[in-house]
Amino acid sequence: MTNDLNYFLQSLLKFIPFSILFCVVGICLWGDFVPNLITKNLAKKEMIPGFMENRIADLTKTKEVDILFLGSSHAYRGFDTRLFKDAGYSSFNLGSSNQTPLQTEILLQRYLKQLQPKLVIYEVYPNTFSVDGVESTLDLLVNDKLDSNLLKLALKQNDITIYNTLIYSYYQNLFQKEQSTVIPFQKEEDNYIANGYVESEVTSSKKYSYKPQEYLFKSNQFDQFEKNLEILKKGNCKVILIQAPITKALYNSYSNNEFFDLKMKSYATYFNFNELMELNDSLHFYDDHHLNQKGVALFNQEIIKKIR
Amino acid sequence: MLFNSIDFAVFLPIVFLLYWLVFSKSLKKQNLFLILASYVFYGWWDWRFLLLILISTLVDFYVGKKLGQETAPKKRKLLLWVSVLTNLGMLGFFKYFNFFIENFTSAFTFFGASFQPNTLNIILPVGISFYTFQTLSYTIDVYRKKLTPTNDGVAFSAFVCFFPQLVAGPIERASNLLPQFYKNRTFNYNNAVDGMRQILWGLIKKMVIADNCAVYANLFFNNSGDYSGSTLLLGALFFTFQIYGDFSGYSDIAIGTSRLFGFDLHKNFAFPYFSRDFAEFWRRWHISLSTWFRDYVYIPLGGSHGGKWMKIRNTFIIFLVSGFWHGANWTFIIWGLLNAVYFLPLLLTNKNRINLDIVAQGSNLPTIKDFLKIALTFTLTVFAWIFFRAESGVVALQIVSEIFSESLFIIPSFEGKRLAVVTAILIVLFMIAEWFGREKAYASADWGLHLKRPLRWVIYAIQLFIIFQFMETDKSPFIYFQF
Repeated sequence: MTNDLNYFLQSLLKFIPFSILFCVVGICLWGDFVPNLITKNLAKKEMIPGFMENRIADLTKTKEVDILFLGSSHAYRGFDTRLFKDAGYSSFNLGSSNQTPLQTEILLQRYLKQLQPKLVIYEVYPNTFSVDGVESTLDLLVNDKLDSNLLKLALKQNDITIYNTLIYSYYQNLFQKEQSTVIPFQKEEDNYIANGYVESEVTSSKKYSYKPQEYLFKSNQFDQFEKNLEILKKGNCKVILIQAPITKALYNSYSNNEFFDLKMKSYATYFNFNELMELNDSLHFYDDHHLNQKGVALFNQEIIKKIR
Repeated sequence: MLFNSIDFAVFLPIVFLLYWLVFSKSLKKQNLFLILASYVFYGWWDWRFLLLILISTLVDFYVGKKLGQETAPKKRKLLLWVSVLTNLGMLGFFKYFNFFIENFTSAFTFFGASFQPNTLNIILPVGISFYTFQTLSYTIDVYRKKLTPTNDGVAFSAFVCFFPQLVAGPIERASNLLPQFYKNRTFNYNNAVDGMRQILWGLIKKMVIADNCAVYANLFFNNSGDYSGSTLLLGALFFTFQIYGDFSGYSDIAIGTSRLFGFDLHKNFAFPYFSRDFAEFWRRWHISLSTWFRDYVYIPLGGSHGGKWMKIRNTFIIFLVSGFWHGANWTFIIWGLLNAVYFLPLLLTNKNRINLDIVAQGSNLPTIKDFLKIALTFTLTVFAWIFFRAESGVVALQIVSEIFSESLFIIPSFEGKRLAVVTAILIVLFMIAEWFGREKAYASADWGLHLKRPLRWVIYAIQLFIIFQFMETDKSPFIYFQF
């Protein structure tokens, strides 16, 4: 080995730990001092929608429910815990933004024993089986506790925003720093109600149109989904799988809805409310795939009929 | 394998260490190892198309050898045609077959005839336009007796498939790159460190500038009917910086990587958006392709000698061919034509070689005259990129008409404005860095060189930090892979 090469390799071996340390310190300072406007690959509480922090705070006060809701934003914006209470069911909505089966597992490990639900309504949005779940992992990283399971999941997902956020969250935990002391119950047009449900004040009459498309499912999400069903089975929970309604324009643009329906039917009792209900795209939705309160009321009424 | 992937981050150190620590004692073994590494690099994408590289290599190696032995002009010409037809035949089939079939069909239908040929589901082999042009330049130079044919099949094969520049250039001439495979290479610390610096700058261009711009360029161009003229203009600007960051970033990484292995490649970009006219722009943009067309198409056609009409004809031919080289789509041809229209007045008034120096050399700011010239050239470049990026000529015209309508004065409206603002800030900072580095080989070439090592390392670490904080997380391939 020439002297030049030797010196180059030695320098490189010193530079690598130096740059890692520099970046770790940089992330902590970046998170503390740089305005959210420009923190692109670092997630902070204020930047993540979905009120997970409120949900976690509510969870500390909740024990044993009749129904536990799981799933994506279609769950926390689609299952109104107040309507279920009126129908005689105590419930908790553990849905979170873009929650995929990978993150559902973490939530089940943390809260299933505490909540001991008799029935689990598991909202299954095909899109959450087609994504890697970065958004939802970030949600958990900034709003819930850090443990080895979440760390494993974060490392498995191999995403730079997750790494940055993980480092910043550890730093905050280490120095007992709280990102904000007051938990907001309202963000823009969304209101956090109680027990995990979020209501939107928006009503949209926008017309939607889409090019034909298909879900590109990820096999690891289905594998994880099966594991989650196993966890629920072991916890003696009855499970109902529900696909919440989305606008007809969006639903009909996907060519592989039938495949997804067959797949879900093979796992457990399954209702696809896109096929079971007649909703109006401009009356019952606030965007192309979320129900407004009017739509939620009709949707929940139908679910209550099914579970009675 | 993408330069901005984990795969490459693992591949490069392994190849580097084996190259210098295991194979450095024998030149032949080192070259053979480079061939193996290059085939792995290419085969990572699709191993089946390695056969095309192999065909190109074998044909041109033997044609070159025969050209060296043959003296009869007719036979020499025949040999040249074997090389040209093999390389352009492969390129034509994989890249242009469906384009010609579709356009013949349209022409037949237009004249009332019925013609229903089958198009083929052809995958375009990555980098085919680059390595075919590179190896073709070898046989043409040997045919012209400007280059002695090589008898070293291993060196020639390594020249054709050298992984840093295999899939997106720079398109190297055999006269520059091939001799570098003949001589022993010794590791040079300064060269390697400079190579690393250039790789780092290339990654910033690609991952921070180009990929972030791509989000908005794709959004606006793919849904152009939904946006106002002002938003579409913003889209054109984002694409302007996307394509520059993407392609020049690739070239920087390729040149920097080559330096790690002891090779020097030609510069491919020289701060083209600071050009004062279109002749200067084409001396600074994709230099290896421009000079290829100049030497192998433009000059053989007569160049700028001859009468006015010959100059006009040759200019249009070279820009049309250049447009067509980019892809089998009328949009590229229109883009080429537009550039010919921009270039022609300079040629006809003999003003195509007035801006040969670097703008505002030795000073911080350009003169007002230079600034206005740069602004005009840049504006016309942005306009031409609309045709380059649009899905079709019709869509491009719709975008242009929307931009030149009253909706140009509406405040741009789209989802994700916050990150668009961040991207705009990054572009401004990037262009400031490019401006102050325009006299160097690449903008960051001398950053921290006068500082002590710890501070210099801080500068490198800051660049890494910027990549991690601002890179676009959805990995996108380099634009020029498709060409």
